Amino acid sequence: MMRLPPFQYVAPESLEQACRFMEEYGSESKLMAGGTDLVPSLKLGNLAPRHIVNLSAIPHLDEIGFDERSGLHLGALVKLHSLEKSPVILEKYPAIAQAATCVGSPQLREMGTVGGNLNIETRCLYYNQPDFWRAFRPTCIKMGGDTCNAIGGGRKCFAVFSGDLAPVMIALGARATLVSAQGERNVAVKELYTGNGAKPLSMKPEEILIGIDLPAPEKGTSSSYSKFAVRKAIDFPLASVATLVTLDGEEKVCRAARVVIGAVGTRPEEVEGIGELLEEKRLTYELIEEAARLAFKAARPIANRGSSPSYRKRMIEVLLRRALSSALSDTELGKEHMR
Amino acid sequence: MKEAVSLRINGETHELFIEPNTTLLEVLREHLGFTGTKQACDMGTCGACTVLLNNRPALACLILAVACRSKEIVTIEGLRKGDQLHPLQNSFIEQGAVQCGMCTPGMILSAKALLDERPQPTEAEVRTAISGNLCRCTGYTKIVEAILAASNME
Repeated sequence: MMRLPPFQYVAPESLEQACRFMEEYGSESKLMAGGTDLVPSLKLGNLAPRHIVNLSAIPHLDEIGFDERSGLHLGALVKLHSLEKSPVILEKYPAIAQAATCVGSPQLREMGTVGGNLNIETRCLYYNQPDFWRAFRPTCIKMGGDTCNAIGGGRKCFAVFSGDLAPVMIALGARATLVSAQGERNVAVKELYTGNGAKPLSMKPEEILIGIDLPAPEKGTSSSYSKFAVRKAIDFPLASVATLVTLDGEEKVCRAARVVIGAVGTRPEEVEGIGELLEEKRLTYELIEEAARLAFKAARPIANRGSSPSYRKRMIEVLLRRALSSALSDTELGKEHMR
Repeated sequence: MKEAVSLRINGETHELFIEPNTTLLEVLREHLGFTGTKQACDMGTCGACTVLLNNRPALACLILAVACRSKEIVTIEGLRKGDQLHPLQNSFIEQGAVQCGMCTPGMILSAKALLDERPQPTEAEVRTAISGNLCRCTGYTKIVEAILAASNME
């Protein structure tokens, strides 16, 4: 059995208490909610924090709220499993339910949380390995060394952001609330990610993500999330696409369009030029082809996950073509998982 | 630093004095002898260590035992009533759904969580419910049949 390294453990019962702990421990600590991302990293020796602050006992952070004016609120401790079942999410934000449904396995979704999935560590074939495996290679940048083993001799870390919720949240324009002993701040979910594989999250060490808010969807809006992975259950994405499209009337004039691609870079990336290409035009299959080509060009995977970069890049194009075609043909997105 | 932890397992209270870096799986198997909960990948992938936490399936290898205070834990040992096996256990035996046995406790507990919530599931729901439990003998057909048969008995 793999043992966990020693650490001090606290489980604060209020947010104020949690903030005080984080103020004191800062970068020597790790926050824990479901533990499904943190515990494997501890077992592999990727992380060895001196303190673990378990947020699970903090009240009211597991609530889902919706109102037509202010939109959707998701507490950071909402379980991924609850997203799959919530009637308001299934009706108004189907992409969130789709993304939650394809995370890990039923057990992991019972344990994993919204906050944890948004704050998931980046992954790499050369990083998510036990100590003894890594010992036979130079220490990589993410482990504190100065070289990249995925790109021999590389000076930058390309570890892949592999969360399923983040692309959807960015496409839907979600904002995150972060608190610390110094106060509260509200940032776009997009701003949570640095693009640096070695240090992918922009939150300060003492900050705690307590929840996210999304605007109410406009009329005619459809959202989707599609994921490519080797197995339908358990696996992290190897490429993923989140879309938001607002179509107006019989003519299907596109009023808003956003595409975010995931698992092909160090952060979820909004595809530039999609809005300019599609907005205020009638959505057609020709336009969808152009959009798919834009997404293909924006994806720049490298050989550090369990499928070839060229295949993952091609899958981004395929997933986007399917998602937009589905929005155009009015078939309800997400009835069938497109992987 | 060791902490006193009181855990409710299969309806009984167990007093432990453990380090916070002890997983629930270590406590179950090594401290208390509940070896029905299997250890396989130890990384949250295979589902062999599945237990029920407040009636929902969870992976004992990823849970800190100190985080399980005030939770109701059920392992495979907690399913039988006296000499009577649980209907799912009987069904697995009758349908020949046990091969090497390594995935069986986790499979049965995932199935129990499903049947408690949906007593008459479809085959697709059964397959989704056990999608986090890997069987390397690949005897999935009989496992699915056993769960469906148990659901019809109730």
